[in-house]
Amino acid sequence: MKLSTCITMILTFSVSSVYAANVSSPIQIGIAVAQTSNVALFGQEQIIGAGIAEKYFNGKSGVNGTRIKLVMQDTGGDEAGAINAFQNLISKEKVVGIVGPTLSQQAFAADPVANRLKVPVIGPSNTAKGIPQIGEFIGRVSAPVAKVAPYAVRQAMKQNPKIKRVAILYAQNDAFSSSETVTFQETVKNMKLQTVTLQKFMTTDTDFTTQATAVLGAKVDLVIVSGLAADGGNLVKQLRQLGYMGIIIGGNGFNSANLFPVCGKNCDGILVAQAYSPEANNPTNKAFVADYRATYKKDPPQFSAQAFTAVQVFVEGLRKVEAATGKKITQMDLAVVRTELNKTLRKGSYITPLGEITLDKDGDVNQKTFYVSQIKMDAGGKVGKFVIVK
Amino acid sequence: MDAVQFLQNFINGISIGSVYAIFALGYTLVFSILGIINFAHGAVFTLGAYLTYSLAVGRFGIGGLLADLQIPFQFSFSVSLLIGSILSGLAGVLVERCAFRPLRSRGADPLLALVSSLGVALVAVNVIQYLVGSEIYSFPSDVYGDIRPAFVIHFGEKLVVVRTVQMVIFAVSLLVLALLGYMIGYTRIGKALRAVAENASTASLLGINVDRFILYTFFLSGFLGGMAGSLVGTSFGIAGPYFGVSYGLKGLAVIVMGGLGSIPGAVLGGLIIGLAEAFVPSEYSAYKEAIAFAFLFAVLMIRPQGFLGRSQMQKV
Amino acid sequence: MEEFLQNYGFLVVTLLQQSLLALSLYFPLMTGQLSLASPGFYALGGYIAAIMLTVDGCAGVRDYLGWAIFPLGWVAAGIVSAVLALLVGIPALRLRGIYLALGTIAFVEIMRVLFLNMEITGGAIGIFDIPQLFEERWSYILVFGPLLIATLLFIYRLERSRIGRAYKAIREDELAAGAMGINATRYKVQAFVIGAILAGIVGAMSAPFLNTWNARQGTFDASVSYLAYVLIGGSRSLFGPLLGATLLVALPELLRPLKDARLIINGVVLVLASIYLPQGIVGAMSRLKRSLFKIYAARGDDK
Repeated sequence: MKLSTCITMILTFSVSSVYAANVSSPIQIGIAVAQTSNVALFGQEQIIGAGIAEKYFNGKSGVNGTRIKLVMQDTGGDEAGAINAFQNLISKEKVVGIVGPTLSQQAFAADPVANRLKVPVIGPSNTAKGIPQIGEFIGRVSAPVAKVAPYAVRQAMKQNPKIKRVAILYAQNDAFSSSETVTFQETVKNMKLQTVTLQKFMTTDTDFTTQATAVLGAKVDLVIVSGLAADGGNLVKQLRQLGYMGIIIGGNGFNSANLFPVCGKNCDGILVAQAYSPEANNPTNKAFVADYRATYKKDPPQFSAQAFTAVQVFVEGLRKVEAATGKKITQMDLAVVRTELNKTLRKGSYITPLGEITLDKDGDVNQKTFYVSQIKMDAGGKVGKFVIVK
Repeated sequence: MDAVQFLQNFINGISIGSVYAIFALGYTLVFSILGIINFAHGAVFTLGAYLTYSLAVGRFGIGGLLADLQIPFQFSFSVSLLIGSILSGLAGVLVERCAFRPLRSRGADPLLALVSSLGVALVAVNVIQYLVGSEIYSFPSDVYGDIRPAFVIHFGEKLVVVRTVQMVIFAVSLLVLALLGYMIGYTRIGKALRAVAENASTASLLGINVDRFILYTFFLSGFLGGMAGSLVGTSFGIAGPYFGVSYGLKGLAVIVMGGLGSIPGAVLGGLIIGLAEAFVPSEYSAYKEAIAFAFLFAVLMIRPQGFLGRSQMQKV
Repeated sequence: MEEFLQNYGFLVVTLLQQSLLALSLYFPLMTGQLSLASPGFYALGGYIAAIMLTVDGCAGVRDYLGWAIFPLGWVAAGIVSAVLALLVGIPALRLRGIYLALGTIAFVEIMRVLFLNMEITGGAIGIFDIPQLFEERWSYILVFGPLLIATLLFIYRLERSRIGRAYKAIREDELAAGAMGINATRYKVQAFVIGAILAGIVGAMSAPFLNTWNARQGTFDASVSYLAYVLIGGSRSLFGPLLGATLLVALPELLRPLKDARLIINGVVLVLASIYLPQGIVGAMSRLKRSLFKIYAARGDDK
């Protein structure tokens, strides 16, 4: 034992001596989201949001004069890809912090790695329970499902006060869906409704015959689905085709325009709780929406807004570090910057596209306003949008 | 479980099972004539679905080389299905040429044919991914015209439902089974195929052009595979380039259970596994996946030739 | 040196790990049996290690043993794999050829679904944040390397022993071997169990290396990869799996700039190799050697 520990220690020290390097200019922030695999549909929106943030903040003289640069690493759709992306960003690219990963499932796998290496991570779309508690370096700007989900149920009750029987379905192999469904189940109980059937499926399923017929047979007034866009959308399509006429609530996984090609016309009417509204009235959001509309001719989606916010939190944090220490980031040691940055993130508030937010001591986000949107598909069933319901 | 629920589960089982059956039909055809498992069948299944989609809808998404492309002309679904299946048949022939013929001419170990077909599957699936990305492509709801999307039977308060597309798949698998059975049993081509299956070298001595009939087999298998993929695609959407490959694994269980080489066996095996999966109570729904393979293992232990297969003699 | 280890350390460790898994396939192949069961034991070994390292119930043991909990995990994985392999192997190895391959495929799938559903394995979500044996990922070379060397030595000695000769006899002609008094089933099960133990131990070593463990570690896709390593490298020599693994793991990495195209090339390599290199690369090399030798010897006769 002694010999191998010796060797390891020597090697580790010699390697870490390479680490005592200064932060490069422009300051690098890592973006580790899914650029490939079927989760790429969420990742796409995140990259766009982060890109707009990079342009916006560099236009406002970056970190007190030093520009920022986003370094992308593809996590793919699985845990191993996320871990690799994180490792590359931390060790090879030497970023000051990481925005990512896309899925809560990936976050549970990759965040501990970053935490151990003392690199701050801000999750732009991880909403499962327990993520900020993974470690002191882990935070997020995506409000946990526990806060957001009940809004959708309340809206459903408003649309149909006679709701009594509820069917709840969730993807059991996804950490986020399994977490979200617990919240939905509790909310249903608290609102004195009855969950008459609880069905499980996998994100990889395509044949939902068993689940859908069970829901039909149970004669429910409300269906709540926690899954990702591909599986969830397919489930909704099969439910509607079998003749289910009641209200459908989708979880955060439905929060993407990439749901539309899956269920087409059948997507119409789905209620999805939102952490973001393009109408939010603050200067940052107005600039963000204007930039997005100019390029894409439509309103920005939630995932883009959250990615923008994550980058913003890092940039403002870096500015605060320079103010507090009186030194330029580029003259500080990387390890020191990472630790100091992590400390400042939890202080103060930020005016972001999501509204005014703060990060609590665990790194979890406090957000004031939430919304519920309803999907409206056009006559052809191809183009749709999320319309905020008042 | 009351009578209505039983009936619903039964119908679900037939519904789920006919998907497996229609996949397995093309799969087992190659085994029954050539004695090898063509792992590229899943890829041809997938390819067929994409081809039919391209012809019938033609709109591609954000990933891949052909991103955002909209093909300017579309055909009706039945025409697209026919063309798509024919092209898949040709793909099947291509697979035979690239992966199987060179091995046959070298007299190679059948194991290598397995690996070779896997390699071809890998290439095909990734080419598809490269071209059109990995997102879901769905057929519009009215592919079958104005038929209602589902049929409902009321039993007083309760009801039993089944989606129309699933019934179409079931009907088609029975139809194909009947047609194949007729072709192989009663036509000259069928007789030649049976001769090749029995003993290829004797068949060639008798003047049958073995290579040509093997080509026919692969064309037919590809045609069936492509058609199956398109039909399944109308039901569940095309869930990415790997959607056929996942059926490939369960398909193994289906054809072994039904009997390696038996065509009615493929349909029987598919329906049995579908029924077994449908009757699993929802608390244990995650174990559904294992049913097919537990059956496979059990069949291998007790009766390796499956329900309708021929007993394999160990030749010394 | 540090730069190389930093950038390629992960790759080197993966090479060693995949070579070991290819070798776990090699043992049953020595008796002529194609078993695709390795991923099931690999996943099992990984879970055992992951559970021992994370579960609260074992916290007391962990504190007491310190770093020694890691080797204990390897041993535990090996023992459990052996037991399971005996239970499964004795009935399964009565099957031959493609039926055995199918049976092992079924076994892997059943294991995968079981892991997907048990509480203790974290269900479908898996186990996260597995404690690390080393700070740096490339340090795992110190774990996989010695195991690989030990395994190669073991195979070398085995092939030259009486047992190894029995394996060869069974591979060449099982019926004849039986007629000569060799209990084929016993040796086949034995080879199967050894392969399973190796896969289990590699799994236990890999769990900390990969940080997380879930049912996706043990799938049919993995069997296909291991099979490809052995077939392409050569199934008759102990260096074959090594060579095959090195080639097929390194190739996608070297081709990384090509991104999507590299999987296509992987597939093309599989097809070409099975057609033109049926004996694998090692087999092709030895054929080349023999033909060169023949040329040389023939020329010597020209006097």
